[in-house]
Amino acid sequence: MSRLVAVVTMMLLAGCLRVKPHQREDLSRRSMIQDRGAGERRCTQHQTGSREGADGGTGEPGGGCGCN
Amino acid sequence: MRWLVLALLLVPASARADGELTLRGVWYKEKATRVVQPMLDARFDVGEEAEVDAHFLVDAITSASVAAGALNEPFSEERWEAGAGYVRRLGDWRIGGAGRFSHEPDYDSFFATARFERALFSDNTLLGLTGGGGFDAVSNAGVPAGMGAAITGELTTVLGSASVSQVLSPRVVAGLTYDVSSLRGFQENPYRSAITAEGLVPERHPDQRLRHALAASVRYFVTQTETSVIASYREYRDDWGLRAHTPELRVVQHAGEGLELTLRYRYHRQTAADFYLPSYPSNDMTEFPFVTDDIKLSAFDTHTMGFKVGVIGSVIGFTGRFEETRVELMMEYTDQNNRFGNAVQAHAALTLPFQY
Repeated sequence: MSRLVAVVTMMLLAGCLRVKPHQREDLSRRSMIQDRGAGERRCTQHQTGSREGADGGTGEPGGGCGCN
Repeated sequence: MRWLVLALLLVPASARADGELTLRGVWYKEKATRVVQPMLDARFDVGEEAEVDAHFLVDAITSASVAAGALNEPFSEERWEAGAGYVRRLGDWRIGGAGRFSHEPDYDSFFATARFERALFSDNTLLGLTGGGGFDAVSNAGVPAGMGAAITGELTTVLGSASVSQVLSPRVVAGLTYDVSSLRGFQENPYRSAITAEGLVPERHPDQRLRHALAASVRYFVTQTETSVIASYREYRDDWGLRAHTPELRVVQHAGEGLELTLRYRYHRQTAADFYLPSYPSNDMTEFPFVTDDIKLSAFDTHTMGFKVGVIGSVIGFTGRFEETRVELMMEYTDQNNRFGNAVQAHAALTLPFQY
């Protein structure tokens, strides 16, 4: 938990280094926002969730099938 | 879906909002299982500040047995899934909700989530919170009549998730997500039996499971070569004693206007659950209260390697409203040292943007 708090604190402190809107051309590229479509993400998560004991880390629910 | 196609073909010149429709076909094959999965994803702007998405898919599954080691009879099954979501921007906030329903002859599942996001520091920081709950109904309806007693079960899931995304420079953005989920109820496979010295016995899993996953990612854009490098790592642990480490690297190379090549490598390593054994020396419930034959609860490693080509319609000769169409072809190979065996999967996707 302490590591998590440290990492989040560091990331929030980095917010002091503000990148202005006109500097975000590269950040606005598709590959820098979400390089995988919704269907590809869902399918990948479903397949790994039905073949591995670990799940999560995506902020979205896993499971949903009888593959257990 | 008919009205979606009409909307696509009859869009007026004075369009007011954007949307996109993606048709995707997936083919997955491993030693004993083949899955063919057509799916449809749609996304629409609703006014200036809101967005709706929806999806529908079918899994056509053909497997050597309902559960490896159980009936050993080939079977085919279809799973239907539909879902929809809505998100609305309110100043620096984004608030949304989503739902998903999945149906198989022996498994129904419903899950709903609510998500809140807050942008800070001129949109350099994005905090997110997600909460959700699900309900699953399980049975062994696939067992032929007279071949065994009916088994039914229910499973409830509660999910909580917190995330932070931070712009670190004009070319670097990092993210961190922590998920915790609590599962209560039937978590066995109703078809599967564990191997014990006294013979095969139905699986007995704990009826509670608390799962934690912490995932970090960094995206870095290399201006000189127009390359995006995406590195991520997930650490997972649960109270069944299973631990997992999953690093992943994707490299997206922009090759001219409208052409992208992606290479992907993912490694997954996990330990076994505390109660997992390949076979149990006895079926004594005081000594072995939980028994399983679930490969997913064993210790193993997997390596996944893949590539994807994405191209915009104008590059391959599409014109008019279809010149912004995106075509994707993807192939992946998974090497896994467990009973599932190695796997191959292929995707083909067509994304049609439209205005209405």
